[in-house]
Amino acid sequence: MIMNIERVASMTIKSSFAITAGRFSYWYLHTFMKGGSSLPGKIATKFDPAVLKQLTKNYDVIIITGTNGKTLTTALTVQTLKQKYDHIMTNSTGSNMMQGLTTAFLADHQQKGQRQLAVLEVDEANVEPLCHYIKPKAIVLTNIFRDQMDRFGEIYTTYNMILAGVKLVPEATLIMNADLPLFSSVELPNPKIYFGFNHLPDGEVMASSNTDGVLCPVCNHIIHYKFISYASQGKFYCPNCGFKRPELNEEVTAINQLRPTYSHFEINHAPFEISIGGMYNIYNALAAYSVGRYFDISVEAIQRAFTEDKRVFGRQEVIQVKDKAVTLVLVKNPVGLNQVLQMISSDPTDFALAMLLNANYADGIDTSWIWDGEFETLLKQHIPSVITGGERGDDIAFRLKVAGVTADQLHETSDLDATLAAIEAAPTKHVYVLATYTAVLQLRSKMAAANYIKKGLSV
Amino acid sequence: MTRTLKICHLYGNLMNTYGDLGNILVLDYYAQKIGIQTETEVISIGQTFDANRYDIVLFGGGQDFEQKIISEDLATKKTALTEYIENGGVMLAICGGYQLLGHYYIGANGDQIPGIGALDHYTLSQDNNRFIGDIVIENREFNETYLGFENHNGRTFLGASEKPLGYVQRGHGNNGEDGTEGCVYKNTFGSYFHGPILTHNGVLTKRLLSLAIEHRFPEFDLQKIADLPLEESRYQVDAAGVKRVQN
Repeated sequence: MIMNIERVASMTIKSSFAITAGRFSYWYLHTFMKGGSSLPGKIATKFDPAVLKQLTKNYDVIIITGTNGKTLTTALTVQTLKQKYDHIMTNSTGSNMMQGLTTAFLADHQQKGQRQLAVLEVDEANVEPLCHYIKPKAIVLTNIFRDQMDRFGEIYTTYNMILAGVKLVPEATLIMNADLPLFSSVELPNPKIYFGFNHLPDGEVMASSNTDGVLCPVCNHIIHYKFISYASQGKFYCPNCGFKRPELNEEVTAINQLRPTYSHFEINHAPFEISIGGMYNIYNALAAYSVGRYFDISVEAIQRAFTEDKRVFGRQEVIQVKDKAVTLVLVKNPVGLNQVLQMISSDPTDFALAMLLNANYADGIDTSWIWDGEFETLLKQHIPSVITGGERGDDIAFRLKVAGVTADQLHETSDLDATLAAIEAAPTKHVYVLATYTAVLQLRSKMAAANYIKKGLSV
Repeated sequence: MTRTLKICHLYGNLMNTYGDLGNILVLDYYAQKIGIQTETEVISIGQTFDANRYDIVLFGGGQDFEQKIISEDLATKKTALTEYIENGGVMLAICGGYQLLGHYYIGANGDQIPGIGALDHYTLSQDNNRFIGDIVIENREFNETYLGFENHNGRTFLGASEKPLGYVQRGHGNNGEDGTEGCVYKNTFGSYFHGPILTHNGVLTKRLLSLAIEHRFPEFDLQKIADLPLEESRYQVDAAGVKRVQN
């Protein structure tokens, strides 16, 4: 017993020291070096691996994880909760792993003695390590798709990674995408809130042949759907064992208008709009709505939260490049890419298309996924100019030739100066630029050098 | 006269994890340039494979979980697939498909999962490790080199009746030990290459097309295929590894 008390006491002293060291390094880096997203967390964790437990003890934490949509879901959730709470701590994509999360808590100025809310975007592989130190109030599961298989492995591996974390915290409320068969496949003791789409009449469909996760997670027969929203998501059922989508608590009841820059839809029959295109972003809004309702925020307040600050939709920024409006979109895996292609094809005006492919670690070093991109569908409409570039520009150029881009349409560029010049020379007023993570960063710094954008903004 | 090659995408709805669809798109792309159409059918769980119906069969890679399910169904297609291979049918089997054509493989949790033994190899696993990265191999018989991306836990060992698809210049290959990658048996080609393989290796695409066309349309002038220019990205191999060379 005495031993234990001593251990606890020494842990706390160790934690305090770790926090001081971490805060000092954050202050130092922030003030003098204009940076510091993971180093302070690394320093603090070195002094005390359990420092997070101490740092988060006054917070109610909401974890948001999954393959796609973490960033926007997190931003929209913060926006929604702000309708009721003054101060909400959150983190950026660049700090969604353990050290970065630790840094984010070190940097937060919390009011003494008050309980606070933290809405955290957490990398799928970091849910379990995090749940060793904190007991989240809620965990939001957006989706699991194939993503960077060189890092995450298969969708089942990713699900098991998240599940290992969830199993450590049986009291946390799970706010889950019910349209993805995986999420309801394992019995869990946690309280559950299911969200999903109910915008179409029942029919009978099956997933297209380049979709992952089409086997029933219970009996391994091929799963059927009454309707599909996109990829492997929808009102699924298994004709063999009867496994089916759970009852929805929060549902999208109608999609009224989809355009590249906005969407009008209804949740539980109430109208909503967001200033961003793509079905996948309606899922993100629905997830944020579900968290909002869980915290008793009124429907009216959530409607307001989705429209009052358009900057939360920052990923699809429009950059003025001479007389061209350039929409820069990050792409990183086939499901995300196909959603972006579908969003672009909903644009009724003329546009040019550019795609920049890199294969650094952050992009995924295997470029095979571009072959699952449904470029053929997008190219059914006439696109006057298709520009390719990036470090693996040849690979994406060949992909697009196979998809039917003709020699007249295609402009291959061998470096980013040439890419930017091709964008400036595009025959349309509007250019969509799709790029992988490091290609976005490189293009942005070129654009900053050319004074099209200010330096230092993140993706 | 319209000539059409029939392609079977074996378990195409389950075994297509690494952009395997690209192999079919590229076959079609090159075929169109010589005036030949392609038609693809997916044959999956519970469906019959007809050994005389197809000119090219593609059997892609899947996730461990799906592969295990497929191994059970595959037993029902064993006779027809073996007949297709023995008759000199053209087949390209990647990763999991390649493993399942052999005697067995060891799954992620250590289980031995049976293949159909149409080819004479077997596959072991390795603990907490995968062979991941760019790979370049050399086929000494054809005097060709192939580029790909490997990402596999399995370690495959070839039987006496098989030749390797190539010898490893960079990367790990079948098992990281004997310097071989993939297999060739009659007109069946197995490999761990993603990329997908045909998108980086026009020479192999042309080889598969030639074999299939020669068989289906013996009157066709194969020189037309030989004359097709290669369009994929170019690369160099040096001490540091594989370097892409931009056009």
